[in-house]
Amino acid sequence: MSATFWVWFGIIVYIAAGLGIALMARRQLGAGVSEFFLANRKLGGFISALTYSATTYSAFMMIGLAGLTYLTGVGALGFELTYLCGMFMMVFFLPRFWLVGKKYGYISPMELLSDRYQNRGVGATAAILALVFLIPYGAVQLMGVGYLMNGVSGGAVPVVAGIIIAVLCAIAWSSIAGLRSVAWTDAFQALLMITVSAAVLGVVINALGGFGAFFDKLESAVPGLLTVPTAGGSWNLNMFIGLALPWLFFLISNPQVSQRLFIPKSVTAMKQMLGGFLIFGFIYTLISVLWGFGATLLVPGLENADLATPNLLALPIIPTGLAIVVMIGITAAAISTIDSILLTLSSVWARDIHKGLINRKVSEKGELRVGQWVIPIMAVIAFLFALWVAEKPGLDYMIAPLSSAASAGLLMAVPTIFGAFFWKRGTAFGAMVSMIAGAIIVLIFQLTGWKPLGWWPGVWGFVVCVPLFVIVSLATRPPKEKAEEFLGYLKGALKKGRFI
Amino acid sequence: MTKTAWAWVWFGLLLALDIAIPWYVLTSVEKVSAAFLFWTIWVLAAIASAFIIFLKWRGVKS
Repeated sequence: MSATFWVWFGIIVYIAAGLGIALMARRQLGAGVSEFFLANRKLGGFISALTYSATTYSAFMMIGLAGLTYLTGVGALGFELTYLCGMFMMVFFLPRFWLVGKKYGYISPMELLSDRYQNRGVGATAAILALVFLIPYGAVQLMGVGYLMNGVSGGAVPVVAGIIIAVLCAIAWSSIAGLRSVAWTDAFQALLMITVSAAVLGVVINALGGFGAFFDKLESAVPGLLTVPTAGGSWNLNMFIGLALPWLFFLISNPQVSQRLFIPKSVTAMKQMLGGFLIFGFIYTLISVLWGFGATLLVPGLENADLATPNLLALPIIPTGLAIVVMIGITAAAISTIDSILLTLSSVWARDIHKGLINRKVSEKGELRVGQWVIPIMAVIAFLFALWVAEKPGLDYMIAPLSSAASAGLLMAVPTIFGAFFWKRGTAFGAMVSMIAGAIIVLIFQLTGWKPLGWWPGVWGFVVCVPLFVIVSLATRPPKEKAEEFLGYLKGALKKGRFI
Repeated sequence: MTKTAWAWVWFGLLLALDIAIPWYVLTSVEKVSAAFLFWTIWVLAAIASAFIIFLKWRGVKS
């Protein structure tokens, strides 16, 4: 039977397994908004770690990061590990989000901001930021699946077909039982993606003569890719900071991951979530980067670096069955991210925009219905964006830069989030002005490609929004009573739990 | 300084090394044992320090 048959067979088995898991999760689904969007804050450490991993790591890693390594070398490792180093900040933010989430019953990170700053406009502004900037990030996942299925099937599965399959799965996984189906399918998909990618990396390294020979070949064939900046000009400091700065704060700026800080059922589950994720992230990052380096040796000269992984998988040294399983693993990585994005955006729309601004008296049932309707609408928007971007060539439209560009916009909420937890003097006006001004700058610079002084859009936005938050806050009146109560509660609770 | 302040200082130091070593110390060393190895060890230090902190957490009633 042909490779195309096995590709379709693999896709069907994957969809059936995912649907089965999602339907099993539905059996545990209770009623209410907290249940649908947060699994009632009752997830164990193992599932929490895997859903956090699967949501964070996506098609970006095995396609985007591998492609970026293929094209630009070791700087890609530094860029991605800077994100992982940024996870150190979880020791500050994880207990804080978790404690106030439980105490005040927040559904979304934006609701936390609205309450802390005593102004629904703050949450709504952060919500709009998420809606605008997470669409490109979601689209990136879809592109990844499209490229991959097309490459592994030798062109038999069109890019658009791959994108449509990813959209439909993401809608199903997130709609069937909310976070329960997303988390369970995420856990299955996280295990799948790390296991199969490690297996193929083993085959590639083996084909190159083992790790020692692999590294020797890298040093002799592409020595310029082992340093920063490269001879070709990649990874100058501006590029590194431009890409890494939004990534550094990903853990709090991206609501689909910060919302997960509400879900562990206990402190033990929280510790398992963080520890499990750090180990997973370290291994998966090294696999992705080594994979990219392997592609530079085995499939050199590709015009589109995002095709490095599909081309690597199409090599005769990779057994067809294994290549198809890996394709499914990467597809799983992409879908596990986009379904989480869809679910988070739907909660943000329902809670922070619909209930926060449009209809404050909406019932919990009505709010849930609105959220469920938003899931397919967001999916279609991401689908259209993916179709548009897939036609564009060049570095700006590669998966990795596009992912980081999306996070550059979300970065503008970071001063507001820091202020919520660490600065009593922060105000709603400071928050809103800084987010809006920063986001406008990022959008303008992103769309025009303008980089004054060589600084990337996220850096410019951040340079503007941080002082704006401070200055406008100092010039306006803070919600003193709420700040005292919120931070006072945290101070006591943090001490009790030996958090820092 | 409080433990929280020390943790922020340590994190700041890690970020300073993230730039200083690859771009100013190892910039012309085209070896796997240069930037590649540095970043691998550097992030392991960050992960280990996170473990040291969060393993001390204990259960609380909110």
